[in-house]
Amino acid sequence: MLSFILRRLLLAIPTLFGVLVIVFLLLYVAPGDPVQEMVGERADPETVARLRAELRLDDPLHKQFVHYAGGVVQGDLGRSYITRRPILQDIRERFPKTLQLAGAAMLLASVIGITIGILSARVPGGWFDRISLGVAYLGISFPVYWVGLILILVFAVMLRWLPPSGYGGIEYLILPALALGSRSIAFLARVTRSAMLDVLGSDFVRTARAKGQSERLVITRHALRNALIPIITVLGLDFGYYLTGSILTETIFSWPGLGRYVVNAISRRDLPAIQGSVLFLSVVFVLVNLITDLAYAKADPRVAYKTAS
Amino acid sequence: MRRASLILLLLASVACRGGESSPTRRTLIDSRDTYDPRSLDPALSTDVPTGRAVAYVFDGLVRFTPAAEIVPGLARSWEVSDGGKVYTFHLRTGVKFHDGRPFTAQNVINSFQRVLDPATTGGRGWPLYPIQGAREYGDGKAQSITGLSAPNDSTVVIALTEPLAIFPKLLAMPVTSIIPDSVPANFGERPIGTGPWKFVEWKHDDYLLFARNDAYWGGAAKADSLMARIIAEPSTAVAEFETGNVDVLQVPEQEARNWEQTDEKSAMLSSAPALRFWYVGINTTRGPLRDARVRQALNLAVDVPTILDRMVSGHGRIAAGVIPPTLPGADTMRAPYKRDVARAKQLLAEAGFPNGIDVELWSSQSPPFPRIAQTIQAYLAEAGIRAKLVQRDASSVREASRKGETDMILKEWFADYPDAENFLYPLLHTTNRGVGGNISFYSNPNFDRIVDQARREQDDAARAALYRQADAIAFADAPMIFLFHHRVLYAIQPWIKGFEIPTIFNGQNWTGVSIAR
Repeated sequence: MLSFILRRLLLAIPTLFGVLVIVFLLLYVAPGDPVQEMVGERADPETVARLRAELRLDDPLHKQFVHYAGGVVQGDLGRSYITRRPILQDIRERFPKTLQLAGAAMLLASVIGITIGILSARVPGGWFDRISLGVAYLGISFPVYWVGLILILVFAVMLRWLPPSGYGGIEYLILPALALGSRSIAFLARVTRSAMLDVLGSDFVRTARAKGQSERLVITRHALRNALIPIITVLGLDFGYYLTGSILTETIFSWPGLGRYVVNAISRRDLPAIQGSVLFLSVVFVLVNLITDLAYAKADPRVAYKTAS
Repeated sequence: MRRASLILLLLASVACRGGESSPTRRTLIDSRDTYDPRSLDPALSTDVPTGRAVAYVFDGLVRFTPAAEIVPGLARSWEVSDGGKVYTFHLRTGVKFHDGRPFTAQNVINSFQRVLDPATTGGRGWPLYPIQGAREYGDGKAQSITGLSAPNDSTVVIALTEPLAIFPKLLAMPVTSIIPDSVPANFGERPIGTGPWKFVEWKHDDYLLFARNDAYWGGAAKADSLMARIIAEPSTAVAEFETGNVDVLQVPEQEARNWEQTDEKSAMLSSAPALRFWYVGINTTRGPLRDARVRQALNLAVDVPTILDRMVSGHGRIAAGVIPPTLPGADTMRAPYKRDVARAKQLLAEAGFPNGIDVELWSSQSPPFPRIAQTIQAYLAEAGIRAKLVQRDASSVREASRKGETDMILKEWFADYPDAENFLYPLLHTTNRGVGGNISFYSNPNFDRIVDQARREQDDAARAALYRQADAIAFADAPMIFLFHHRVLYAIQPWIKGFEIPTIFNGQNWTGVSIAR
């Protein structure tokens, strides 16, 4: 198991290097100029030329890349062109907040989504199944942006139960987590339902029922455990969605996380900030994929990761 | 996006309960910042949120009132001598920075040097370039700025390269604020000034918090503290205002009419002319656009009153020149271009384009730009001008227009200081082509000469006359489609007393604002 993890981590290095190169090249060919954003609406050509030289923007591409990659290898993501703050400090400040939001969304989505899925699977075609199916379709179809605004309107402006936006205690977390998790709730409910239906039709469930076990035990101990693999897959895949979805959610709910940071960095062409955030998020992705794979083995003893092949 | 916010708005107007009671909090809360400031270091203040916050913590030698009048700041008074080339500022004595250190004339010199120092990488040295030796210092060719001196602790003498009547206004810009000596590397995160508010904390992308400076030379602020919340989405700011969590809201243009038509809401509204000019920059060096008749035809093709009415809820005044009607030099009697499709076609034919022309019209993707661009495109089509819309993010549009790659670009221009010069000179003077702000690449020696003369002119009335003359030349040459001068619409909570809408972005420092009990 340990060597499996090590091997996967080693394999991640070329992946991350690839990400680094691609992001660097994309930003190089994309229009827009960080210096023009720094100086604002009015400047003079001399200042622009001096700042370009200062930031090494006039160096040949390979030189710029070597300079940047050299810093990254030493754990230095550089300083923001615009704010002059170290990128790593910015990420350290914001990522925990994004993680908090993603975690809350995931928790909400799994609790609500899996419960709905199980309940629908118990009586397929029943009233609960049909209603939840309809709601699930709506949940998948509505964009996060719209859901977010409606949640603010209903729970903050009309009912005054929760604050419309901002960062603080748990009351600030509920609406953005719901908005971010809404699509996932629907998706998880659908996947859980079909996985449960598959398992509930199998022989061992019939056996369990035949030996007189209660329906609750049949579902929780026998069926759900065996339906977990596709659910874990969806959760793992969705995590990526949480990180990208957080860009919109954080913007709507004024949540001071990494998503908004990236949006700001892109709009101001703050190259080190964009590169640093994308690289950091890629590391997170690699780790999440690894954790998902490990979770398979935990959920299903038949899945095992051998040391060598 | 727009549709969603519209639905939200409609539902909100049904939901609005009105008659909010005063909040128990003692902190004033602003909602106008849409993104995190660049820094709180004055030398880096090149954007609006930064400039606003800097104006709370710091003072300049002079400052703006909400009505954009210039009043003494750290300088009690000043005189001009040597035909307008030398400014002598008499400084306030007994003023202390928030950390207790005294303010002296040397702080002024050091602050200005720091703004120009290449190592600061602020990127906004131009307000100080009129000072003798400033450019040389900024280019690293001199050890000090020759035109700056402090004969004693309470006097600063500034010598300019040539007379410049607007110079004091440049010293009310955030970038020329005065900072203490030998500031630490994280000064942008922990600013220390002499201003009415002391810095308390900055939660990035969340809020900035300031506390009253009880020892402020201009009299302590009425409220205990001031919070500037950073809210990216306009609909969210609206929701925060409706729940009473923020005190002041800048009503989004596209929602203004709905607010005005709801009784409880319209009672909270107030508006003021902003020094904000909407126009379509026409690149006068590209193809058929080199011909003034073609550019006049463009102006005649567009129905500006309808655009103003439908797109920004009528909040503005049709432009008949670049100078906002509230500033000296504006000719409020001049008739704007009036839509006349036949005349536009005739002018095109006279210029040698009887079959019309093909142009690109660039705009950014943020509302309400795309809708206005589409409307202009439709009007132009009726006059035989085939405009292709190009929509990119703001940064790409800016870069392309400064390189001269855009035929036409829909833009707005915010003043840095209240003077006609801030419109005529950056937008249309030959010196400022490209990155300086003249994205029309307009170059008319006659116009330049009059603007240069106006910059040197010491007499206010004579200067205004020159401005008017230059504006008339530009209006006839039509290096842009003149759209409108904006009026901003604010919503202010009923419990807020003393908030005046600032004409210029750093004109309201909240010292006279309080929460009524």
